[in-house]
Amino acid sequence: MDYSTLNDEALIRLVARAHEGALSQLYDRYSRLIFSLALNLVGDRATAEEVTLDVFTRVWERAETYRSEQAKVSTWLSSIARYRCIDVLRRRGSRPEQRSVGWAELSLGAMPSVDGPEGATELALQQERVRAALASLPPEQREALALAYFQGYTHRQIAETLGQPLGTVKTRIRLAMQKLRDLLVEE
Amino acid sequence: MAADRHILELLPAYALDCLGEEELVRVSVHVGECPECRAGLSAYQAVVDQLALAVPLAEPPASLKSRLMERTQPGRTRLPAQARSSGWEWLTGLMQRSAPAWGLVSLALIAVLILSNLWLWGQLSGPSSPPEPALASTISLTGTQAAPEASGLLIINTDPERGTLVVDALPPLDPDQQYQLWLIQDGRRTSGGVFSVNQEGSGWLRISAPQPLPSYSAFGITIEPAGGSPGPTGDKVLGSTL
Repeated sequence: MDYSTLNDEALIRLVARAHEGALSQLYDRYSRLIFSLALNLVGDRATAEEVTLDVFTRVWERAETYRSEQAKVSTWLSSIARYRCIDVLRRRGSRPEQRSVGWAELSLGAMPSVDGPEGATELALQQERVRAALASLPPEQREALALAYFQGYTHRQIAETLGQPLGTVKTRIRLAMQKLRDLLVEE
Repeated sequence: MAADRHILELLPAYALDCLGEEELVRVSVHVGECPECRAGLSAYQAVVDQLALAVPLAEPPASLKSRLMERTQPGRTRLPAQARSSGWEWLTGLMQRSAPAWGLVSLALIAVLILSNLWLWGQLSGPSSPPEPALASTISLTGTQAAPEASGLLIINTDPERGTLVVDALPPLDPDQQYQLWLIQDGRRTSGGVFSVNQEGSGWLRISAPQPLPSYSAFGITIEPAGGSPGPTGDKVLGSTL
């Protein structure tokens, strides 16, 4: 069977029936995305590798729990990865303080290549939309958002990190999310 | 029910999971009752889901795929959760954040118990139901003879491996004791985490389980030495059977 011709949902259905080739194809499509997300969240490659392995192991063991009406496969996988990473960060009780977080150097040049009939075009377009939306935010809003998203910080921790009043941080996060919602989410 | 402005303003941060504990409980309870806020939250959750697409890219090592495929080999195929790798165990310990919001817990429990019925009713209302909510379902826990007045509620997130336990009217414990949640399946008990209660017997616990919470057949809470035990050793105070 040529798994590369199948869309993501078909692959998930086959993984649920223990088709290793389907899992292999999904890994080829999304491992770079998941590993990149994990690396940006936890800050070290060894942990990012473990998170990536666990995300795809969960797909193997629990593909039948995927609900296409709730999320695309890519968002399902990235959501699992982010929760795993935040668990790791909170268990550590400390974050890598000195690395840059996430979206500081947004560039539209470095798109991943994704195999599959719908993959390359759709995912690349999605990525471009999200990056452009983030790039349109004022830097101070993007900075607060990145601390919440990448480091799992609460409002209060963000305020302490940035040396800003709590109310200011709350407003920045709210305004950033409202603008992203308007730009990225269809009514 | 109309959403109050304060809750609406907290929805973006709730979707990002960056609220403090008091606000987290307040919004959880409100979202459970309010279709308008569930719809609003769903939109913000969709934003959070998409943010992963903008991260700077890095290449995983080539060996990682081999390690994954080893896990699918015969004899290791589709393992039950209890047999997962040490890496999984390492990642799924319970997170403990800041001090609990005791003052809100009793109110939260009462509100959730009442309003979860409204939410479940909304779940059954068919195609016109609001978009995906933040809270997927709830499970009630009842007190045993050791704590007949106690009650509890397990709120399961849309990610079914995550949830929040809220308890009320449990007996206060000595400092060297804590309550421990047990996730039960086929007679096997997996720890869901430990927690303490205030003088009114209220407390709560965030849960990150190794497998979907609805897949367990029962839940129990026992009194254990502080920090928890490998298996239940003390009196059972709350329980639930699905």
